[in-house]
Amino acid sequence: MPLLAKVKSFLRNLLFIRRLEEDLDQEVRSHFQMLVDENIRAGMGPREAERAGRMELGGAEQVKEHVREERLGNSLHSAMSDCRFGLRQLRKNPGFTLTVVLTLALSVGANTAIFSLVNALLLESLPYPHPERMGTIYTRISGSSATSDERHNVNGEQWELLRDNVPALISAVSSGGTSGVNLRAGSHVASVHNGRVSAHYFDVLAVQPLFGRNFSEDEDRRHGPKVVVLSYSLWRNVFAADPRILGQTILLRSEPYTVVGVLPQGATTPLNADVYTPLEPDREGEGGGTNFRCIVRVRDGATWQEADAEINRTWLSRSGRYELAENPAARVSYHSVPLRRAQTDSLRPQLLALMAAAGFILLIACANLAGITLVRMMRRTPEVATRLALGASSWQIQRQFWIENLLLALAGGAVSVSVGFLAVRELLFLLPEHFLPVASVPVDSRVLLFTLVISVLTSVLFGMLPALATRRVDLRSSMANRTVVEVGSLRLRQGLIAGEVALTLMLLAGSGLLIRSLIYLETLPPGFQPDGVMVAKASLDDARYHDPAAFRKLLDESTAAMRQIPGVENSAVGLNIPYEFVGNDWITLSDGKEAGHQGGSDWVYVTPGYFDTLQMPLLAGRVFTGADGPNTQKVVVVNHAFAQKFYGGTNPVGRYIDRDTLIVGEVADVPISSGLDPVAPLQTEQTMYVPATQVNGALLALLHQWLQPDWIVRTAGPVDGLTAAMQRALSAADPNLPASGFYSMKDLLACTLATQRIEVALLGAMAALALLLSTVGVFALVANMVAQRTREIGVRMALGSSIGQVMVEIGRSGVAASLFGVVLGLVFSVGALRVMRSVLYGVGVYDITTGLFVVLTLLVITLLATLLPTLRIARIDPARTLREE
Amino acid sequence: MGTKVEEAWKKGSAELLILSLLEDQPRHGYEIGKLIEVRSGGTLHFHVASLYPLLYRLEKRGWIEGRWVEKANQRRRRYYRLTAKGQRVLELQRKKWQEFAGAVGRIAGVQHA
Repeated sequence: MPLLAKVKSFLRNLLFIRRLEEDLDQEVRSHFQMLVDENIRAGMGPREAERAGRMELGGAEQVKEHVREERLGNSLHSAMSDCRFGLRQLRKNPGFTLTVVLTLALSVGANTAIFSLVNALLLESLPYPHPERMGTIYTRISGSSATSDERHNVNGEQWELLRDNVPALISAVSSGGTSGVNLRAGSHVASVHNGRVSAHYFDVLAVQPLFGRNFSEDEDRRHGPKVVVLSYSLWRNVFAADPRILGQTILLRSEPYTVVGVLPQGATTPLNADVYTPLEPDREGEGGGTNFRCIVRVRDGATWQEADAEINRTWLSRSGRYELAENPAARVSYHSVPLRRAQTDSLRPQLLALMAAAGFILLIACANLAGITLVRMMRRTPEVATRLALGASSWQIQRQFWIENLLLALAGGAVSVSVGFLAVRELLFLLPEHFLPVASVPVDSRVLLFTLVISVLTSVLFGMLPALATRRVDLRSSMANRTVVEVGSLRLRQGLIAGEVALTLMLLAGSGLLIRSLIYLETLPPGFQPDGVMVAKASLDDARYHDPAAFRKLLDESTAAMRQIPGVENSAVGLNIPYEFVGNDWITLSDGKEAGHQGGSDWVYVTPGYFDTLQMPLLAGRVFTGADGPNTQKVVVVNHAFAQKFYGGTNPVGRYIDRDTLIVGEVADVPISSGLDPVAPLQTEQTMYVPATQVNGALLALLHQWLQPDWIVRTAGPVDGLTAAMQRALSAADPNLPASGFYSMKDLLACTLATQRIEVALLGAMAALALLLSTVGVFALVANMVAQRTREIGVRMALGSSIGQVMVEIGRSGVAASLFGVVLGLVFSVGALRVMRSVLYGVGVYDITTGLFVVLTLLVITLLATLLPTLRIARIDPARTLREE
Repeated sequence: MGTKVEEAWKKGSAELLILSLLEDQPRHGYEIGKLIEVRSGGTLHFHVASLYPLLYRLEKRGWIEGRWVEKANQRRRRYYRLTAKGQRVLELQRKKWQEFAGAVGRIAGVQHA
């Protein structure tokens, strides 16, 4: 048949179906009438003639059905009528429909949410042209005691090698992150995020300025001209989108900078800063350590292989120079990785673990849905038998069920998109700013497609068992019995429940361990009194404060002003405070039997009131006083861990380090976020405290490029308008010094433990969802047993069984399934929980307390889910049941 | 074994039979069924459930065309007639059937009546 005719026929069959049906009906009737007429002519009575005619015709509907099957588009038409029938069936059973749709909405919604993250972080391409040509270079130290897969940024010398010897790449470096700097434009003073980038940074990203130009190589040299490129939003918000901004001077760090460019709207960079200034990288200062973050783009016509070859050639010729002083066996090597991977590698294991957990939820939901759909199928056995008897084929019956499942899956999928969207929104609220290396987590077409596929896949999974079960429907027994209880189906459902309880146990155990881990971190002995402390941060990356005298004056005046705030008991300044990331330095012990020993120590400058304000206990010696000035004996206060590490726990007071620096006191340890030897997000580590008055100008300039010092005040209780008063006190000392933020110690703790909190929130939510679904599963299993066996229960009670005996008998099915599931879950957990080792702190993988708690919780909840439906047994009236029999 | 082979032969020849019956004049479904039975001396019998789908299929291919005819004191009846395309198919099928039957006859040693 030619295509055009086919289309015509298809459309006719679809559009004029009523007329076609009428014609078919008339034709079959007319055939039947002719049969009857002939029978009458052969001498039969009218009734007999009709009966014989009907026998010969063999069922008008079946004849019509055969003709319909010949029609083009018939399968679509019958699928549509199956859909209509399915919708009617689902409307008739709102309880079933609602349970399935809700289960799907929650389980598929959880998957949609997690997949949105995976999509945004791992699958979406970077917002730059030809992202596949972009990468990053990092260094790795092998053969040392440090973990060999730890990645390091590059130092000044490595950067120069890369820049000058690898022509296959356009290379650029930037500071590790943004830093807060003070911007002054007219009367406007603000703390803004400054990204320091080398020349060609925007070339690598292929970002062309809206106005002006990128930094030149001359501007990127030490003591080069002070120039700045503005982000689009800053240009609009602070400079009212002034088109004459190019060439104008703004005050940044209290120094004049000339605006040379404005980035276009929507342009993003890995730094996402408000203003960009030249990095001016060299081998001194910042460039002495691996502090530069590298991004590269393969030039047109070159390949990654060529670039790698050039990198290795350059590197091998110089590798001897990179032996580490303290570890001659260590070797440093270059590695290039695609930029997307470099940005998300650290999040990948967590994301994949979350995806696996979401997969568990889906399996649990499938097991539940398979169970309740199976029961529904069993209840519909008489309907199936009737349809089979009326001539429906097994395929038609199956198709009907599959279409119903598909309808449920689509409804559930549609709701789950909203659930997923809301879940992602809530999750993003939880995350600290700049936590994810992407600007947004969109629910895009890929996420929608994923949701659709997952929904349909779920419907196939949960529909498979019931579909197989209906293939075994026996016509005669099904027509005779009103309901059919199959031992096989009970075992199957128990198996499903056991499986979901096992998965739930694993999720509960996993989240239990994470919760224990978080509790451990949050309840680490603080070593200071965190209540009543308020913190203001401000950037001192400011030309005026490279002068130590000006810096000392600022600290004196601002802390004095803060002490004047009513309700404030004490005030001080420190480069860092507990829970924060702390800088570090190498020290050499200078006396006694330890003389010459070297090691790393965290390093913090503080004002004299620091220890009192934080209420850090003094263990030996003294703390700093106003007498520790720039020209007096160089002194430090160390913490207990320092004394332990370098002096074996003996009193360190009176000992010298770095030739002439005297240890005058020992204080208690406080938890910090380490940059020296991180083993946990919060830990105590050897730390030395230095008087702020004894830090030289060059060091101040370097430190303040990276870190913003903290002004801390202690109050006896809540103080109204405290932050405003702190800003006023700061302004009293320097009217052009805006605070970049105010924090309580609780805020800082939350910020440091953000990753752990999010892990707990996500896995906890999924474990709770799994528990809910399993509980519903056990409940449905037992409730269904009670409903199916009401008659049997009635008979047994009439014969003398007590209610208790029957309850135990019926409830056994649920308890047995749950118990088996718990055992299975424990066995699985032994293997699966091992992968969590790296994210657990202060708690072992096989923690008995967590295990016991999880098992008991699961047993109590599944027991309740079993008990509730069996209570209905007490309401069964044996006499009535017998009468019904 | 016999039934299956017969079924297959019947299926193969059904189109040829219907087209042949419609060559002279239009007929309705009932008449076609009866004529096959009568003319084959009762050897061939088409059940209604397979006759009408077959008629529908032939119409779909454009070999025959159905038309409703109303006569006084009679139910409306649907008459099928051979189309020009159907005529060509009939001739081709006849020729092929002859060749086929002849070949089978020569091998099986069956003489034509």
